[in-house]
Amino acid sequence: MLLKKFFNVGFVEIEVVERTAFGLDELGRYPLFAPEFLQFLRDAIPTVRHRELVFSIAVTARRPEAIAAAPAR
Amino acid sequence: MAHFTDDQARAIILDAYGQVRSDGAAVASAFYTAAELETLPSDAVAMALGVGHPVRHAALRAGETVLDLGCGAGIDTLLAARAVGPAGRVIGLDMTPEMVERSRRNAASAGMVNVEIRPGPIEEIPLPDRSVDVVISNGVLNLSTRKSRVLAESLRVLRPGGRASIADLVLEDALPEDVLKSPAALAG
Repeated sequence: MLLKKFFNVGFVEIEVVERTAFGLDELGRYPLFAPEFLQFLRDAIPTVRHRELVFSIAVTARRPEAIAAAPAR
Repeated sequence: MAHFTDDQARAIILDAYGQVRSDGAAVASAFYTAAELETLPSDAVAMALGVGHPVRHAALRAGETVLDLGCGAGIDTLLAARAVGPAGRVIGLDMTPEMVERSRRNAASAGMVNVEIRPGPIEEIPLPDRSVDVVISNGVLNLSTRKSRVLAESLRVLRPGGRASIADLVLEDALPEDVLKSPAALAG
């Protein structure tokens, strides 16, 4: 879905150069998440997904040298 | 389906990132090398809240102009500033007043004179068309309810042939609705 957005706005040479699973352990590093919220996630999400809740991806892309129409501001 | 309006999402993000406190390098040490971290101000390291290392994939060259979208306390801004050198320039953009202040302080502490921090939303980049060589961003796109707008703005400010290096979180399988509706989930 995100890569499609890159394509739709006009980026080219779109490439995912890294992809890493984020589970509850990884989220626990972030001070943004209180212990209570992490427990809520643990309870709300099936155990089988606890090690892969979301994925961190690194995307590189390029603005083409020429664009047919300038993006609206 | 959007679970929050633009205004609600903005308020949640401003609150979360304005109040966040950290005294460790748990996040930073997961993505950056020890050699990179030991040369940076401790606050920039402690307040690193990204999900990857966009500078690593940006292929920055001396003299380039870089825009760091949602720069936070500035860890990627500072690494980019080092990479582009004194002939280059790095602009950090963040809508959270506390983070603007932190990143300015961290840039000064690091002696980076080629860094400029601007307040503002990533959906309305306060830069002219075709004014930067590279756009980087780390764990910020997922905080916006207008991702396509952010990307369109990024394209606008890039020079022809310019590059983007974006690290972000994506959901490959749906999470329970209760989780998706949680403000804490949006902010993280």
